[in-house]
Amino acid sequence: MANGFFTDTTLCIGCKACEVACKQWNELPSDGFVFTGESYDNTSELSGTTWRHVAFVEQMAIDHQGELQDRWLMSSDVCKHCTNAGCHEACPTGAIIRNEFGAVFIQPDVCNGCGYCVVSCPFGVVDLIEKFDPDGTHYNLASLATSRLDARATAVQQSGGVAGKCTLCYDRQRLGFVPACAKACPTESIQFGDLDELRERAHARVERLSERGVSAQLYGADDVGGGIGALNAFFLLTDRPETYNLPAQPVLPSTRQPAGYTAAAVAALGLALAGWMIFRNA
Amino acid sequence: MPDLSECRERDDVPTYYERPLLKAPHWEWNVVTYLFLGGIMGGLGLIQLIAHPERPQERRLKRTVRITSFILAAGNPAILITHLGRPERFLNMLRIVKIKSPMSLGVWGLVLYSGAAGANVVRELAIDGVLPRWMRLLAPGFLAPLQALLGAFTAGYTGVLLSATANPFWGSGKRHIPAASVCSGLASASALASLLSTFEGNHAVVHKLERLEMVAGAAELLILNDFKRAAGAYGAPFFKGKRGERLLTYTVVAGTLAPLALNLIGQAVKLPKPIDAVRTTLASALTLVGGYVLRESLIEAGKESARDPRAAFRQPR
Repeated sequence: MANGFFTDTTLCIGCKACEVACKQWNELPSDGFVFTGESYDNTSELSGTTWRHVAFVEQMAIDHQGELQDRWLMSSDVCKHCTNAGCHEACPTGAIIRNEFGAVFIQPDVCNGCGYCVVSCPFGVVDLIEKFDPDGTHYNLASLATSRLDARATAVQQSGGVAGKCTLCYDRQRLGFVPACAKACPTESIQFGDLDELRERAHARVERLSERGVSAQLYGADDVGGGIGALNAFFLLTDRPETYNLPAQPVLPSTRQPAGYTAAAVAALGLALAGWMIFRNA
Repeated sequence: MPDLSECRERDDVPTYYERPLLKAPHWEWNVVTYLFLGGIMGGLGLIQLIAHPERPQERRLKRTVRITSFILAAGNPAILITHLGRPERFLNMLRIVKIKSPMSLGVWGLVLYSGAAGANVVRELAIDGVLPRWMRLLAPGFLAPLQALLGAFTAGYTGVLLSATANPFWGSGKRHIPAASVCSGLASASALASLLSTFEGNHAVVHKLERLEMVAGAAELLILNDFKRAAGAYGAPFFKGKRGERLLTYTVVAGTLAPLALNLIGQAVKLPKPIDAVRTTLASALTLVGGYVLRESLIEAGKESARDPRAAFRQPR
């Protein structure tokens, strides 16, 4: 049995309850106070210590009748827990595993922080966790009253230097609970459950939206191509994937290995032959 | 809900506030140095095999190269360890062997190479009489070709390590980066070997090493030239702008063309020994600088490429 997320962006209201619930449950440190000016998004991206990120896209255009039309797209991004995960394949320590719930999970006590998963994720999800900073300067919290600074490192910060990303709330799932983000979502934009059931529900939702004149597409419910396969966290979108910072043509990094090893072998063989001829001559 | 996706020009790829999709590598000088030394180490593995054991000067070269390659193999893991977020957990890399992870295979390649190189050094010292003569038996004959094979792997895998990632620039060089890594590694190894041989006064082997350096350097240039064509827009962070100029100056002109010219002079004209030694030293130093700048440019261009969302949305095939 594999569990996953179906994130229906047409239901997202941009409340960021998922971000907060995730930070709270997993004891993830603050990202600091940064005002980006990019709509209501001051989180900007997923990171080693930000495992849900709500994207805000404001669109305005004049339609064919000359009327101003506008809409807001909101979408809660998360680790995709890919069928064939680049990070999982790249990990040289075996710290990244696929757990009994079908999620891609990083064992923080095994990871040695080599950073190879960071460059092997086609979705830019995994990153190294910053080491604990008691002054708070790194998190741009210096302006806060010192009484509000973290007095101790959380479990995640204690494992600073290792890679971090969404665990699909492994601990909660083991207790039979729904992941924190899905639990906190007030509109059921984030749905958690058995993947087969979620996919069925997602396809039905696209059809229902289509009947209402809304063109929507699923991202990752089926194979996204490039060798990655389907995503265990997939999305219902109403615009091109790039609008939400999702790649249209991702590639599983390991598919590039055969060409690479072959090219290296050909070069090595050619040079070895040349070298042998040079040194054979008296 | 109005559908505004049709109002945009079709070719205009949207981005999310021009924010990067991918995360940039965390790798700094230590990884650059590791890749550079790994290439040299691998190249030395080949040279210790092809040097002829019956000719005294080449015998001496074999010995020097074996000892140098072992020193590099023993020292390089230390540099690798410094780049880890948790250096004390380096040994976790030896928990498993993962065929699909170039990082895993590379570490095992490095470990096995150290073993083969170490045994070959023991053999050299036993032949010299520094160690008891029976200890030659610790390094049977097949270890020399094995070290060469593992050397080719360690020089090449560093290229695959980069190209088999989600980084668009690195991915666009899935053939060129591994092949160029092997060539650059052997050119640098030949340069280091001729430098050491010059210092030792073993001048007879220098011309052969320089011929090998020229072949490897020329091959590297041809591969880089083809890489520029094949990478297209994905190659911009590497070939264009300030980094492109730096690559052209240090790796192409100073690091390959200049030593090529110096080595050609050395092959064609019989210079007096002290002048020839200066020429070799200069050519070797330039080749080594070029090799380092190549690795550094690869890493830094990878960081810039990761910041380009459009390249990451449509990965090179």
